[in-house]
Amino acid sequence: MSLRQRLFRLPRYLGASGSPRRLWWSPSLDTISLVGSWRGQSSRSPAHWNQVVSEAEKIVGYPTSFMSLRCLLSDELSNIAMQVRKLVGTQHPLLTTARGLVYDSRHNLQLRGLVVLLISKAAGPSSMKASCQNYDMVSGIYSCQRSLAEITELIHTALLVHRGIVNLNELQSSDGPLKDMQFGNKIAILSGDFLLANACNGLALLQNTKVVELLASALMDLVQGVYHENSTSAKENYITDDIGISTWKEQTFLSHGALLAKSCQAAMELAKHGAEVQDMAFQYGKHMAMSHKINSDLQPFIKEKTSDSTTFHLNSAPVVLHQEFLGRDLWIKQIGEAQEKGRLDYAKAWLHSTGCRDSRGYSQPAGAVGSRRYEHAHCLRTYFFSTKLRLGNFTGDLNFVACQIYILWN
Amino acid sequence: MRQARGLSVVLRDVQASQRSIALIAEMIHTASLVHDDVIDDARSRRGKHTVNKIWGEKKAVLAGDLILSAASIALARIGNTTVISILTQVIEDLVRGEFLQLGSKENENERFAHYLEKTFKKTASLIANSCKAVSVLGCPDPVVHEIAYQYGKNVGIAFQLIDDVLDFTSCSDQMGKPTSADLKLGLATGPVLFACQQFPEMNAMIMRRFSLPGDVDRARQYVLQSDGVQQTTYLAQRYCHEAVREISKLRPSPERDALIQLSEIVLTRDK
Repeated sequence: MSLRQRLFRLPRYLGASGSPRRLWWSPSLDTISLVGSWRGQSSRSPAHWNQVVSEAEKIVGYPTSFMSLRCLLSDELSNIAMQVRKLVGTQHPLLTTARGLVYDSRHNLQLRGLVVLLISKAAGPSSMKASCQNYDMVSGIYSCQRSLAEITELIHTALLVHRGIVNLNELQSSDGPLKDMQFGNKIAILSGDFLLANACNGLALLQNTKVVELLASALMDLVQGVYHENSTSAKENYITDDIGISTWKEQTFLSHGALLAKSCQAAMELAKHGAEVQDMAFQYGKHMAMSHKINSDLQPFIKEKTSDSTTFHLNSAPVVLHQEFLGRDLWIKQIGEAQEKGRLDYAKAWLHSTGCRDSRGYSQPAGAVGSRRYEHAHCLRTYFFSTKLRLGNFTGDLNFVACQIYILWN
Repeated sequence: MRQARGLSVVLRDVQASQRSIALIAEMIHTASLVHDDVIDDARSRRGKHTVNKIWGEKKAVLAGDLILSAASIALARIGNTTVISILTQVIEDLVRGEFLQLGSKENENERFAHYLEKTFKKTASLIANSCKAVSVLGCPDPVVHEIAYQYGKNVGIAFQLIDDVLDFTSCSDQMGKPTSADLKLGLATGPVLFACQQFPEMNAMIMRRFSLPGDVDRARQYVLQSDGVQQTTYLAQRYCHEAVREISKLRPSPERDALIQLSEIVLTRDK
């Protein structure tokens, strides 16, 4: 069954008929069909996005914007803001990260936290409800699970900020004065550390050592993942790493999947769910994050034609797959042919990796087609685990919205 | 000296969890040093090149994060939520201490309090709280926990005060890091603050964080001419005596003697 057909079936699959509570649901049927049209870019209008997110927020009970920045309600906020302002006009990456964070927060793109909340609600209370009697529950979610969602965003944001540190001995004259970069590094480290310290404090307050261990190990995975990303030869030398797609998946799990997977699992642990439910939540988070990453890697390759500004990362999924199909030597030769005066002509490299045509007759790089298959596999596993988590009365709505968010996120 | 501090948290019949705390404390300390060296753009630490100089700033920051995550995993595995709360407080204090260092107080009177608060958060909090954590694991009596905490806090502050003195009195070969390092970073430590009482002309330099050419040398001269070093050393002695007074409340043992001796070493070290 194709993806589109599954999406159309989704309402019935989730038990749409009947409940008068679901009046808001019917207009969303149109949303499904629009979104279900194949890669319908136009369906991702801000109006749709806002609709889905506000429905999700109704479900979880409150707006999730600025989640990771809420901890900055302290003296440090004015300190950090003052320092970041000094970076305006410099080339330090922290400025871009900060702008992106504020923009994303305003537009509710703190999706990790939202997914953790949704999954908490979907799974509902466990049969061990008695042991959670002292937890307060609002809109079907325990307050400790809400804290966990915030902690997840804090960790993600902290590493986002730390990714922006620059190596001082690699600076070019175009990067501007050294002291600006040094100052930017200083603020980036302190802000990231501040976010991590808040995450650690939040974890301590949960009074659950297993959850602390889960999130601490997720942090370790994330750091290792970012380390691999930084060590990649792709940036400076315009060569793909000598890895196959399975290694790529392992590394990408570390840098993109582990945090969401382990947070979802931790949310289940907080509600005292058993190992089976915890594992399902882990798989849900993992596959959602992996398919998101593959989809984002695919973006430069699904345009109908390349433009001059098309670039792609030489360690992205389609390229790594392409290298695997073709063999490394041949791919390196192709890269060599696409280089002019030591710089990679991305348009040429893209055309080189053309291998097949899709149903509309457009050329698609072989790697892209393969990547899409992986993406589908992850996508379908996400659906599988999301339906397995149907344990409460409201999960029909919830899974529907979760799937919508997933679709729109990708 | 820092490694010796790990030993200082030892009590009779050390449990595996207490040994783990000693390791975790060292890891948290190391992670903070790695990050501090990037922040200060330091070239050497303990007589060797810094992580950022050898491998670059990006890897240094990630290394610090990795060590912190490893420490957190080890902490979780001890399985005691009280101990987790005590040590995560340290992580927060370390970061807030760095922020305190970024800012400065305009008012002379507030400066000393600000300096002591920063000293507690950056140095003493780790020692105090790790001492408290091992005592929590070893014994249920809150009186003992408080004794351990106070011992650690007082020794920690004394240690940092002497460290600040040595920045003026020793030469770079002995210390393993260049001297007048604090002045060069724009920091007004104990000796400087005491000297300023005798030489008010230092106020302007303190406010501009010794940023003009010649400020560092002039400030150093003022400090050496004043009794700033002696006053800071005397203050450190008082903190050490307080530490000894606290730890003496515990029953006699070879370990207690070692702790008393440790506080004396803090005062007499030259590097």
